[in-house]
Amino acid sequence: MNGDYSKFLQTFFEEVTEHLSVLESGLLTLEQNPNDVEVLNRIFRSVHTIKGAGPMFGFTTMSRFAHEVETVLDPLRNRKFSATREIIDLLLESADCLKMLVEAAKNGTVIDENKTMLDLEARLETCLIIPAPAPDQKATSGPPSTAPTAPAPVTSVHRTYQISWIPGEDLFQRGLNPLKLFEEMGRMGTVRSCVLSASRLPDLTELDPQRCYLSWTCTLETDYPREDIESVFEFAATPGGLTITSLPSSSAAAQPTQEPDPQLAHSVIDEEDDPRLAEVFFGQRSDSLGVILVEQRAVTPAQLVKALDRQETLRAKAKEQKVEASMRVDTEKVDKLVNLVGELAITQSMLSALGGRFEIEHLPILQERLLQLERNTREIQERVMGIRMLPISTAFSRFPRLVRDLSAKMKKKIQLVISGEETELDKTVIEAIGDPLTHLLRNACDHALEPPEERVVAGKPEQGTIRLNAFHEGGKICITVEDDGRGLNRDKILAKAIKQRIITGNDILSDDQVWALIFRPGFTTAEELTDVSGRGVGMDIVKRNVEELGGLVSIKTVTGRGTTFTLSLPLTLAIIEGMTIRVGQDKYIVPLLSILESIQPKADMVKTLIGKGEGVNIRGVFYPIVRLHEVFDLQPEHKNPEEAILLVLEVEGERVVVMVDEILGQQQVVIKSIEENFRKVDGVAGATILGDGTVGLILDVRGLMKLARQEQSIAV
Amino acid sequence: MSRVILVVDDSPTMRGMVSHALNEAGFETTEAENGKDALIKLTTMEVGGAKPDVIVTDINMPEMDGIELVREIRKLSAFKHVPVLVLTTDNTDEKKEVGRAAGATGWLVKPFDSELILKVIRKVLP
Repeated sequence: MNGDYSKFLQTFFEEVTEHLSVLESGLLTLEQNPNDVEVLNRIFRSVHTIKGAGPMFGFTTMSRFAHEVETVLDPLRNRKFSATREIIDLLLESADCLKMLVEAAKNGTVIDENKTMLDLEARLETCLIIPAPAPDQKATSGPPSTAPTAPAPVTSVHRTYQISWIPGEDLFQRGLNPLKLFEEMGRMGTVRSCVLSASRLPDLTELDPQRCYLSWTCTLETDYPREDIESVFEFAATPGGLTITSLPSSSAAAQPTQEPDPQLAHSVIDEEDDPRLAEVFFGQRSDSLGVILVEQRAVTPAQLVKALDRQETLRAKAKEQKVEASMRVDTEKVDKLVNLVGELAITQSMLSALGGRFEIEHLPILQERLLQLERNTREIQERVMGIRMLPISTAFSRFPRLVRDLSAKMKKKIQLVISGEETELDKTVIEAIGDPLTHLLRNACDHALEPPEERVVAGKPEQGTIRLNAFHEGGKICITVEDDGRGLNRDKILAKAIKQRIITGNDILSDDQVWALIFRPGFTTAEELTDVSGRGVGMDIVKRNVEELGGLVSIKTVTGRGTTFTLSLPLTLAIIEGMTIRVGQDKYIVPLLSILESIQPKADMVKTLIGKGEGVNIRGVFYPIVRLHEVFDLQPEHKNPEEAILLVLEVEGERVVVMVDEILGQQQVVIKSIEENFRKVDGVAGATILGDGTVGLILDVRGLMKLARQEQSIAV
Repeated sequence: MSRVILVVDDSPTMRGMVSHALNEAGFETTEAENGKDALIKLTTMEVGGAKPDVIVTDINMPEMDGIELVREIRKLSAFKHVPVLVLTTDNTDEKKEVGRAAGATGWLVKPFDSELILKVIRKVLP
């Protein structure tokens, strides 16, 4: 390993992440269709790439594990085995382990062997042990991979290895005894020869008795694969200090069928300084292996030190290198943007030409140019936002696996149908939506869908279906989670809510209000708690997560037929639809999503109730009034609610009425954080620049409610 | 004029790293994603009058693998004599033999040592 590859680390992680999802989705496809060679080849390549590229960055554990997975995949894709449910389970578990290793590598933590991994490795090694040879195996050339009588890993072939081991000089200081290693090696097969080399021994005056100057070359006949031999030396070998060459055994000595271009072959045979070259050129000098080994010893100490140094620096660099948040963008998107910026530059130069010698009769041209500028700006804005847009499949991709695992765990038959996965939305939203969706899917699997027997009794297909769909609707993204289960049970929810004192028995609630109860913190109807769901955490978190994203959750349910949860989310978090309002001289923005209606009340609607403060009665429901000028200490135009305007706002199912002087109009605003530049201000979510260039504050409705409550308690 | 090397690998990380090592040493590189892509690139290069001096290829790739690529290259009169170095994680004698028989010039193993690659390339350069 050498050279500075740390700048490829980011690319590597991006690529590996893709490979991991290919692996997982591939395995799930394989489960449906175990003989899909195309899929097998694809997942094989993914694992293979991880194995190959990992060590370039020093991720040897990851690579070794990928290798173990590969050894199982290889016979599968060569149709020596077919993928059974057990094997797929094991491979999925291995994919998880690989994911964990990759995550660890990303965070810079070094994971050595842990139990999960070792256990998986052992299972991977043994999972393909076959009682009898596969029928088509005899047809393949080369040594048989398994002897019919002696069950052994498929990968094992009776082989002879030449093992050249040049231990680090600090071998003894590290408390390692070479004899133990040779004994262990001896247990793996027959050691045909073991030659000690003392060529590194210095002069007696320079000799440090605590250092190891010896090296060994052994010949080992074994059934074990090369990796196992390597593992014997795992702790004792220094980088480059262990060379395992497999010597042609009698059975494997296949003769070349076709001569390579003689001219080329000739050009590479003669004199060489690097002994490794011999291996590169298909062991053209394998007859003089002894010579090469001598050469190798001669060059190794220097090489070793150099290689160690390089590795050390590379490791240090890799640690420094922080993995930045980055994303891949379609080149087409970037090209279009570049194009648009070009157009913007043209419009700008036309405008400045016009401004240089402006006369009033040019006004129509100016207006036309400004219109063009507006169009350019809007389009650029859209495109730039588009860069942050990713297909929602990135969030959906983990769900087939989730549902599969859940259905196995709960012994239900569940089919997950995903559609609309190409729908694009903001990267931040995608990242944040994963958890709420996971909760909803878990709930659907656990609570909503009945056990197979119950479904059959109810006249439904044994297999339950959950549909996950995403689509655009009026500038928003809707994600629906629909199940064909038992539906929400009104009476059960009501009974539970009364028991938990969320409502009283006298309250009369509409269906929608009943369904909304399940979003209350701590609410659960599950009679028994499972470890999947039903611990009363979940639905309230779903609602809160979605609302934090500026979205809404709604429920539709038919008893006995199923439930549909609809999450409607804004396309992006950076821009919101806002309503500009005025209080005295100041302008504020209220997020449009939270406004239910605005009214100008009649005098008899406004009342002050003891214990509840000032409020307004709208169609029989009493809402508390928050006077914005009191909260922010402003000089308002109107102090009388009948003259002012009342906005009915809703957040987290709670409603509040905010009193303002005037509604100015609706506009898209770009949110700028105040917290980042100043500090957190209660009742304010952020700031934006208004059309006239002044700064407008965006109201934080939830914060306002809190402020209002405090005021009330002070007033009382 | 600097020498041109065609780097064939389906992993962008690998491709990037091999190219990087070669560029550092003053070689020009062209990249291809798989065997098929490489053959297309070769044809374009031939039309443009620029032939790669060496081809470095991975084995395990979609569409067309490295072994097949070597076989195809050896059939093309224009590229028959271009050295092809295989760069792969596979290090079994069986696989190596297949590569040698297909007409590969050399066999390099991943994780690669860029110094060794450069040494080998300098060695096989016509």
